[in-house]
Amino acid sequence: MSRYVAVSSLPEEELTAVCYLNVIINMSMTFAFPLSIILNILASLIFLVYWIAAFIILYHLTRFGIGVQPKKFAAAFLFGSVVLSGTAIILFMNLNLNSLIPR
Amino acid sequence: MIKRLLSIFRDSPNSFEGQEKEERVVLLLRQHPFTILVSLTFFGLAGLVPIVVGVIFWSYLSVHGWLHLYLFVSSIWFSGLWLAIFHSLTMYTLNTVIITDRRVIDSDQHGLFNRKISELHSHRIQDVSVHTNGIIETFLRFGDVTVQTAGSEKQFVFHQIPQPDRVKNVIMQMARSRDSGVKTVVQ
Repeated sequence: MSRYVAVSSLPEEELTAVCYLNVIINMSMTFAFPLSIILNILASLIFLVYWIAAFIILYHLTRFGIGVQPKKFAAAFLFGSVVLSGTAIILFMNLNLNSLIPR
Repeated sequence: MIKRLLSIFRDSPNSFEGQEKEERVVLLLRQHPFTILVSLTFFGLAGLVPIVVGVIFWSYLSVHGWLHLYLFVSSIWFSGLWLAIFHSLTMYTLNTVIITDRRVIDSDQHGLFNRKISELHSHRIQDVSVHTNGIIETFLRFGDVTVQTAGSEKQFVFHQIPQPDRVKNVIMQMARSRDSGVKTVVQ
């Protein structure tokens, strides 16, 4: 609020210059970090976190599991994880990110 | 080669870390499957959420062109559920009681990085009791087995073990055979 008051209290010429600079900064930021790249990085992070958690579960099942049951669970989990990750990646590729970005 | 590889899913000597030479596993126990059924049912219901949302808002999603986004978010939801289901199954699987011909090992897994292992040698076993509580435990034949010991940890409780009477008999037989020198046989 105080910033708004400070800017609006500037003389008209300076205000135009501030607005112009603001537009330039916004445009350069948009070119530097387009939203689609940010969403791609976010999706990559989600997959990374998923596979770290999957690795921890698989490690526990195979390293500490006793008997046949943990091995069966580990195999089923690995198979399901690969299928689900593949599906999620394909669905993410089909996603039109530009349609999600508000204009 | 493939047959040998697949044999790990069929038979196992139930070997474990810290197993002594010529130590034989008599029983490998886990909690009754009913105990994991409650959380699996919850996850099953959570799996219905995207389906219900899809059925209700299908036309709305297709009109606004959000169908692909909905499918992607659903796939993330199912991936998260898959992790949660197998986290529960891992906790269930790693909670074990191993009865060997020399000792009883109780492994309590409280979290992925939180585990407590207690060991009880057969010569310290004093008394074994079984506690079955409620209609479900009675009909599905599972309950708690309590082993009184002469050690620092006064009693060992194995929760919700299937066929507790049989387990009690095996532990008592093991304790007796330790004294008499006769090997434990499980029927």
